[in-house]
Amino acid sequence: MNIRRLTELALLSSVALIIFVIELRIPNPFPIPGVKLGLANIVTVYAVFRYRPSETAMIVTVRLLLGAMFSGNPSALLYSAAGAIACLCGMLLLRRSLPEKQIWLCSVIGAMFHNIGQITAAVILMQSCGVIAYLPILLVTGSLAGAFTGLCTQLLLYRIKR
Amino acid sequence: MKSRKILIAVLLIFLVSACLSVFILRHSDQQTVEIVQNGTVLYTFDLNDTQDQIIRISAPDGGYNLVQIQNGTVCIAEADCPDQTCVKMGTLQSDYLPIVCLPHKLIVRFAEDAS
Repeated sequence: MNIRRLTELALLSSVALIIFVIELRIPNPFPIPGVKLGLANIVTVYAVFRYRPSETAMIVTVRLLLGAMFSGNPSALLYSAAGAIACLCGMLLLRRSLPEKQIWLCSVIGAMFHNIGQITAAVILMQSCGVIAYLPILLVTGSLAGAFTGLCTQLLLYRIKR
Repeated sequence: MKSRKILIAVLLIFLVSACLSVFILRHSDQQTVEIVQNGTVLYTFDLNDTQDQIIRISAPDGGYNLVQIQNGTVCIAEADCPDQTCVKMGTLQSDYLPIVCLPHKLIVRFAEDAS
Protein backbone atom coordinates (compact mmCIF):
# COMPACT_ATOMS: atom_id res chain seq x y z
CA MET A 1 0.00 0.00 0.00
CA ASN A 2 1.53 3.31 -0.98
CA ILE A 3 1.43 6.47 1.09
CA ARG A 4 -1.20 8.14 -1.07
CA ARG A 5 -3.56 5.24 -0.52
CA LEU A 6 -2.84 5.16 3.21
CA THR A 7 -3.55 8.87 3.54
CA GLU A 8 -6.81 8.55 1.65
CA LEU A 9 -7.95 5.73 3.92
CA ALA A 10 -6.99 7.68 7.03
CA LEU A 11 -8.84 10.73 5.74
CA LEU A 12 -11.96 8.69 5.02
CA SER A 13 -11.82 7.07 8.47
CA SER A 14 -11.61 10.44 10.17
CA VAL A 15 -14.46 11.84 8.06
CA ALA A 16 -16.56 8.83 9.07
CA LEU A 17 -15.67 9.37 12.73
CA ILE A 18 -16.54 13.07 12.60
CA ILE A 19 -19.93 12.28 11.06
CA PHE A 20 -20.43 9.59 13.71
CA VAL A 21 -19.66 11.96 16.61
CA ILE A 22 -21.87 14.72 15.19
CA GLU A 23 -24.71 12.22 14.77
CA LEU A 24 -24.43 11.31 18.46
CA ARG A 25 -25.43 14.89 19.26
CA ILE A 26 -28.64 14.69 17.22
CA PRO A 27 -31.47 13.53 19.51
CA ASN A 28 -32.99 10.27 18.32
CA PRO A 29 -36.75 10.60 17.75
CA PHE A 30 -37.26 6.81 17.82
CA PRO A 31 -36.74 5.36 21.30
CA ILE A 32 -36.07 1.87 20.00
CA PRO A 33 -32.68 0.21 20.55
CA GLY A 34 -30.69 0.01 17.34
CA VAL A 35 -32.68 2.60 15.37
CA LYS A 36 -30.28 5.16 13.95
CA LEU A 37 -29.75 7.22 10.85
CA GLY A 38 -26.23 5.89 10.44
CA LEU A 39 -24.88 8.85 8.48
CA ALA A 40 -21.33 7.55 8.93
CA ASN A 41 -22.23 4.78 6.52
CA ILE A 42 -22.13 7.29 3.67
CA VAL A 43 -18.37 6.85 3.92
CA THR A 44 -18.68 3.05 4.11
CA VAL A 45 -20.80 2.86 0.96
CA TYR A 46 -18.46 5.27 -0.81
CA ALA A 47 -15.47 3.10 0.13
CA VAL A 48 -17.23 -0.07 -1.02
CA PHE A 49 -17.47 1.37 -4.53
CA ARG A 50 -14.10 3.11 -4.71
CA TYR A 51 -11.71 0.91 -2.72
CA ARG A 52 -10.73 -2.72 -2.35
CA PRO A 53 -12.74 -4.86 0.11
CA SER A 54 -9.80 -5.16 2.51
CA GLU A 55 -9.34 -1.37 2.53
CA THR A 56 -13.03 -0.82 3.19
CA ALA A 57 -12.85 -3.29 6.07
CA MET A 58 -9.96 -1.30 7.53
CA ILE A 59 -11.92 1.97 7.43
CA VAL A 60 -14.92 0.32 9.09
CA THR A 61 -12.80 -1.33 11.80
CA VAL A 62 -11.15 1.97 12.73
CA ARG A 63 -14.54 3.72 12.76
CA LEU A 64 -16.06 1.03 15.00
CA LEU A 65 -13.28 0.91 17.56
CA LEU A 66 -12.73 4.65 17.86
CA GLY A 67 -16.49 5.30 17.65
CA ALA A 68 -17.12 2.99 20.61
CA MET A 69 -14.45 4.87 22.53
CA PHE A 70 -15.77 8.35 21.68
CA SER A 71 -19.39 7.52 22.40
CA GLY A 72 -18.39 6.13 25.82
CA ASN A 73 -20.48 3.05 25.17
CA PRO A 74 -18.09 0.14 24.65
CA SER A 75 -20.79 -2.46 25.35
CA ALA A 76 -22.56 -1.40 22.16
CA LEU A 77 -19.44 -2.39 20.21
CA LEU A 78 -20.42 -6.07 19.91
CA TYR A 79 -23.80 -5.23 18.40
CA SER A 80 -22.47 -2.64 16.00
CA ALA A 81 -19.53 -4.88 15.01
CA ALA A 82 -21.85 -7.80 14.21
CA GLY A 83 -24.01 -5.43 12.17
CA ALA A 84 -21.08 -3.89 10.35
CA ILE A 85 -19.58 -7.26 9.39
CA ALA A 86 -22.90 -8.52 8.01
CA CYS A 87 -23.45 -5.20 6.22
CA LEU A 88 -20.01 -5.26 4.57
CA CYS A 89 -20.42 -8.86 3.40
CA GLY A 90 -23.79 -8.05 1.84
CA MET A 91 -22.61 -4.91 0.09
CA LEU A 92 -19.37 -6.41 -1.21
CA LEU A 93 -21.30 -9.35 -2.69
CA LEU A 94 -23.70 -7.01 -4.44
CA ARG A 95 -21.51 -4.21 -5.68
CA ARG A 96 -20.55 -6.01 -8.88
CA SER A 97 -24.12 -6.77 -9.93
CA LEU A 98 -25.56 -3.27 -9.52
CA PRO A 99 -25.24 -0.45 -12.08
CA GLU A 100 -24.04 3.03 -11.11
CA LYS A 101 -27.56 4.40 -10.89
CA GLN A 102 -28.61 1.87 -8.27
CA ILE A 103 -26.02 2.41 -5.61
CA TRP A 104 -28.74 3.43 -3.17
CA LEU A 105 -30.18 -0.08 -3.48
CA CYS A 106 -26.85 -1.54 -2.38
CA SER A 107 -26.97 0.71 0.66
CA VAL A 108 -30.52 -0.40 1.49
CA ILE A 109 -29.47 -4.04 1.35
CA GLY A 110 -26.41 -3.22 3.45
CA ALA A 111 -28.70 -1.63 6.05
CA MET A 112 -30.92 -4.72 6.09
CA PHE A 113 -27.91 -7.00 6.57
CA HIS A 114 -26.71 -4.66 9.31
CA ASN A 115 -30.01 -5.03 11.19
CA ILE A 116 -30.03 -8.80 10.79
CA GLY A 117 -26.47 -8.95 12.14
CA GLN A 118 -27.37 -6.73 15.10
CA ILE A 119 -30.39 -8.84 16.03
CA THR A 120 -28.38 -12.06 15.70
CA ALA A 121 -25.80 -10.66 18.12
CA ALA A 122 -28.57 -9.55 20.49
CA VAL A 123 -30.23 -12.99 20.43
CA ILE A 124 -26.91 -14.70 21.20
CA LEU A 125 -25.85 -12.22 23.91
CA MET A 126 -29.22 -11.87 25.65
CA GLN A 127 -29.95 -15.61 25.32
CA SER A 128 -33.51 -14.80 24.42
CA CYS A 129 -35.47 -15.06 21.19
CA GLY A 130 -37.81 -12.24 22.26
CA VAL A 131 -35.60 -9.59 20.70
CA ILE A 132 -36.35 -10.97 17.22
CA ALA A 133 -39.58 -8.95 17.49
CA TYR A 134 -37.46 -5.87 16.88
CA LEU A 135 -36.31 -7.12 13.48
CA PRO A 136 -39.30 -5.97 11.36
CA ILE A 137 -39.22 -2.50 12.92
CA LEU A 138 -35.47 -2.26 12.43
CA LEU A 139 -35.81 -3.45 8.83
CA VAL A 140 -38.36 -0.73 8.02
CA THR A 141 -36.44 2.12 9.65
CA GLY A 142 -33.12 0.67 8.51
CA SER A 143 -34.05 0.50 4.86
CA LEU A 144 -35.35 4.09 4.93
CA ALA A 145 -32.12 5.26 6.54
CA GLY A 146 -30.15 3.10 4.10
CA ALA A 147 -31.94 4.64 1.12
CA PHE A 148 -31.08 8.11 2.42
CA THR A 149 -27.40 7.41 3.02
CA GLY A 150 -27.26 5.56 -0.30
CA LEU A 151 -28.63 8.57 -2.19
CA CYS A 152 -26.10 10.79 -0.45
CA THR A 153 -23.31 8.45 -1.55
CA GLN A 154 -24.61 8.38 -5.11
CA LEU A 155 -24.45 12.18 -5.27
CA LEU A 156 -20.94 12.06 -3.81
CA LEU A 157 -19.74 9.49 -6.33
CA TYR A 158 -20.99 11.67 -9.20
CA ARG A 159 -19.29 14.75 -7.80
CA ILE A 160 -15.97 13.20 -6.80
CA LYS A 161 -14.82 11.81 -10.12
CA ARG A 162 -11.46 10.18 -10.38
CA MET B 1 -32.43 -7.15 -15.17
CA LYS B 2 -30.67 -8.48 -12.11
CA SER B 3 -31.01 -5.16 -10.32
CA ARG B 4 -34.75 -5.20 -10.96
CA LYS B 5 -35.04 -8.56 -9.20
CA ILE B 6 -33.07 -7.18 -6.25
CA LEU B 7 -35.32 -4.11 -6.16
CA ILE B 8 -38.44 -6.28 -6.07
CA ALA B 9 -36.97 -8.45 -3.29
CA VAL B 10 -36.09 -5.37 -1.24
CA LEU B 11 -39.58 -3.92 -1.71
CA LEU B 12 -41.15 -7.22 -0.65
CA ILE B 13 -39.05 -7.42 2.53
CA PHE B 14 -39.90 -3.79 3.26
CA LEU B 15 -43.65 -4.30 2.88
CA VAL B 16 -43.71 -7.54 4.87
CA SER B 17 -41.78 -5.99 7.75
CA ALA B 18 -43.97 -2.87 7.66
CA CYS B 19 -47.05 -5.08 8.11
CA LEU B 20 -45.34 -7.08 10.85
CA SER B 21 -44.31 -3.86 12.64
CA VAL B 22 -47.93 -2.70 12.81
CA PHE B 23 -48.87 -6.09 14.24
CA ILE B 24 -45.99 -6.05 16.75
CA LEU B 25 -46.69 -2.51 17.97
CA ARG B 26 -50.31 -3.29 19.00
CA HIS B 27 -51.10 -2.71 22.64
CA SER B 28 -51.28 -5.71 24.89
CA ASP B 29 -54.00 -6.79 27.29
CA GLN B 30 -51.76 -9.12 29.27
CA GLN B 31 -51.15 -8.32 32.91
CA THR B 32 -48.26 -10.59 33.90
CA VAL B 33 -44.86 -9.03 33.51
CA GLU B 34 -41.51 -10.71 33.91
CA ILE B 35 -38.04 -9.26 34.31
CA VAL B 36 -35.35 -11.34 32.67
CA GLN B 37 -31.61 -10.93 32.91
CA ASN B 38 -29.09 -13.05 31.04
CA GLY B 39 -31.81 -15.52 30.12
CA THR B 40 -33.03 -16.17 33.68
CA VAL B 41 -36.32 -14.85 35.04
CA LEU B 42 -35.65 -12.67 38.09
CA TYR B 43 -39.17 -11.40 38.91
CA THR B 44 -42.70 -12.19 37.80
CA PHE B 45 -45.63 -10.07 38.91
CA ASP B 46 -49.22 -9.18 38.07
CA LEU B 47 -49.63 -5.52 37.18
CA ASN B 48 -53.19 -5.40 38.57
CA ASP B 49 -52.39 -6.36 42.12
CA THR B 50 -48.84 -5.15 42.57
CA GLN B 51 -48.25 -2.07 44.66
CA ASP B 52 -46.45 0.88 43.13
CA GLN B 53 -42.78 0.27 43.70
CA ILE B 54 -39.30 0.57 42.30
CA ILE B 55 -37.14 -2.52 41.84
CA ARG B 56 -33.40 -2.11 41.59
CA ILE B 57 -31.67 -4.60 39.33
CA SER B 58 -27.90 -4.78 39.37
CA ALA B 59 -26.05 -5.83 36.26
CA PRO B 60 -23.02 -8.13 36.37
CA ASP B 61 -20.77 -5.29 35.23
CA GLY B 62 -21.69 -3.12 38.23
CA GLY B 63 -24.39 -1.04 36.54
CA TYR B 64 -28.03 -0.90 37.52
CA ASN B 65 -31.56 -0.36 36.22
CA LEU B 66 -34.51 0.91 38.26
CA VAL B 67 -37.75 -0.76 37.13
CA GLN B 68 -40.77 1.29 38.17
CA ILE B 69 -44.28 -0.10 38.61
CA GLN B 70 -46.95 2.59 38.77
CA ASN B 71 -50.73 2.54 38.23
CA GLY B 72 -50.64 -0.79 36.43
CA THR B 73 -47.83 0.14 34.05
CA VAL B 74 -44.18 -0.77 34.10
CA CYS B 75 -41.23 1.20 32.80
CA ILE B 76 -37.52 1.62 33.44
CA ALA B 77 -37.16 4.80 35.45
CA GLU B 78 -33.41 5.05 35.56
CA ALA B 79 -30.32 3.32 34.24
CA ASP B 80 -26.66 4.15 34.40
CA CYS B 81 -25.84 3.08 30.87
CA PRO B 82 -24.74 5.78 28.43
CA ASP B 83 -27.40 5.24 25.76
CA GLN B 84 -30.51 5.44 28.00
CA THR B 85 -32.62 3.79 25.31
CA CYS B 86 -34.50 1.62 27.80
CA VAL B 87 -35.54 4.73 29.77
CA LYS B 88 -36.66 6.54 26.63
CA MET B 89 -38.76 3.55 25.53
CA GLY B 90 -41.28 4.47 28.22
CA THR B 91 -43.91 2.08 29.51
CA LEU B 92 -44.26 -1.52 28.37
CA GLN B 93 -47.16 -1.71 25.93
CA SER B 94 -46.78 -4.43 23.37
CA ASP B 95 -46.91 -8.20 23.74
CA TYR B 96 -44.09 -8.78 21.34
CA LEU B 97 -41.83 -5.79 21.87
CA PRO B 98 -40.04 -6.06 25.21
CA ILE B 99 -38.16 -3.21 26.86
CA VAL B 100 -34.52 -4.19 26.51
CA CYS B 101 -31.37 -2.75 27.95
CA LEU B 102 -28.64 -4.03 25.67
CA PRO B 103 -25.65 -3.00 27.83
CA HIS B 104 -27.07 -4.73 30.92
CA LYS B 105 -28.70 -7.66 29.07
CA LEU B 106 -32.00 -6.90 30.79
CA ILE B 107 -35.46 -7.62 29.35
CA VAL B 108 -38.83 -6.50 30.72
CA ARG B 109 -41.69 -8.26 28.92
CA PHE B 110 -45.24 -9.55 29.17
CA ALA B 111 -45.64 -13.23 29.99
CA GLU B 112 -48.58 -15.54 29.44
CA ASP B 113 -51.29 -14.84 32.01
CA ALA B 114 -51.20 -17.48 34.71
CA SER B 115 -54.90 -18.30 35.02
